[in-house]
Amino acid sequence: MRRVAVIGVGLTRFGKHDRTSAELFAEAAGEAIVDAEIAPSSIRALYYGNVTGGEGERQLHTGPLAATLLGLADIPTTRFETACATSHAAFRHAVMEVSAGISDVVLVGGAERVLHIPTDHATEYFAYCSDASWEQPVGLTFPGVFALIARAHMEKHGTTEEQMAHVAVKNHRHGVHNPKAQFRKEITLETVLKSAYVADPLKLFDCCPFTDGAAAVVLVSEEVARKHRRPVWVLGSAAASDTMFMHEKRDLARVTATERAARDAYRQAGKGPEDVNVVELHDCFTIAEIVATEGLGFFEPGTGGIAAEKGWTSLGGKIPVNPSGGLKSKGHPIGATGAAQICEIVTQLRGEAGPRQVDGARIGLTHTLGGNTATVLVSLFGRD
Amino acid sequence: MTERVITLKSFFEEARAGRLTGIRCGQCGELAIPPKEFCPACQKRAWVSVPLTGEGTISSFTIIRVAPRGHAGETPYAVAVVKLAEGVSLLGRVVDLPFESLRVGLPVRFRPLVKNEQTVVGFGPA
Repeated sequence: MRRVAVIGVGLTRFGKHDRTSAELFAEAAGEAIVDAEIAPSSIRALYYGNVTGGEGERQLHTGPLAATLLGLADIPTTRFETACATSHAAFRHAVMEVSAGISDVVLVGGAERVLHIPTDHATEYFAYCSDASWEQPVGLTFPGVFALIARAHMEKHGTTEEQMAHVAVKNHRHGVHNPKAQFRKEITLETVLKSAYVADPLKLFDCCPFTDGAAAVVLVSEEVARKHRRPVWVLGSAAASDTMFMHEKRDLARVTATERAARDAYRQAGKGPEDVNVVELHDCFTIAEIVATEGLGFFEPGTGGIAAEKGWTSLGGKIPVNPSGGLKSKGHPIGATGAAQICEIVTQLRGEAGPRQVDGARIGLTHTLGGNTATVLVSLFGRD
Repeated sequence: MTERVITLKSFFEEARAGRLTGIRCGQCGELAIPPKEFCPACQKRAWVSVPLTGEGTISSFTIIRVAPRGHAGETPYAVAVVKLAEGVSLLGRVVDLPFESLRVGLPVRFRPLVKNEQTVVGFGPA
């Protein structure tokens, strides 16, 4: 298998847009292609992520649409959907195409647009990512899924609402320094703790927002990467799944798919959690970040809340998590998020993250979770 | 073609009549809702349906205050994962219990909730 590198990254501003998701993707991909300093005609395939196009934009068949708007209508393209992990799943498959020697240059990314539709419609469409027979009829929402996890974690480990609030405060503090972030504003613990409950024990400021946006990365073979001045190597990329049913989760205080995807990605890379310098992980809700820092091996099970409270995951802390501001502050266009996390890690490993730079970062990790914790992807990246 | 031991349709038809059904693997005894083609524990295809008592305790719960479009008029409402006495769990809507009384470990009992001809798993006081 050949080594694979990322040589170009691009993303739109995250927030509200008046363009379609495919238009947004074209902007992000254009930026990534310019960043990679390659000819658009060298791209051999597009691996594209989009989740709610059918419901929110009455648009399916979004892969060829995105390629058409890029001016690359004749390249093979497939749309991926694994709920919020969509474009990370697309990335893993693209890595396999380049690694297998099928193509030398591949474009990967995703886009989402939801802010043009009412919140209760968007909440319904997102809930389609949970089971239609056992969960949607009960009225379970995504905040509800993570509220069940939060309650179990609090019960088992003594995690507090204040510890969860620290995650939101930290990610907003990071996001101030990200020009592409949806919310570039610091918040206080009090703001989080006094915000209204959405799904107890989760409050409004424990939740990431609805977001429009797109992200793209250019993946290349080692031979092409060697001609480039700053390749970031893909050291490992792994996926894991778990039962679709919340009632079948073995332990609601854990996300076992994170643990399994991390194990496989670390094994591929020949690295462990102690080698990682910077992390972009899936903080769709504050509790999700706490559970992910445990599942990825940075902290012992049950101690992620303490780590958040102590500032160990802040810029300047033991293991900086979500320097981009994370989904909480940067925003969460669900089809684009996995690729956007990779954009941040590549920027960090190039040393180009400005005031949010993790000094001397050499190994980075991205973690993206889909829906009701039934899909997780973990990838590891390194520089020369 | 093998006869299905239980389908989603028949599970919810039974549930509507107040009867909760689980599926037990005839080989290893693994209990499941819903059945899988192959038993996740032993890989056999030997399911038999078994009646469940409907008694259980709350494993985790939440109170939904921002709902999807189809449930918007119902907020706030409680949802819980309930571990049934037989060891298998189910997600359901919690009714007739004050929110402030809800806690992990609280005993509850299954009851069918029917709305717009759709049967939904519910739990009320034990």
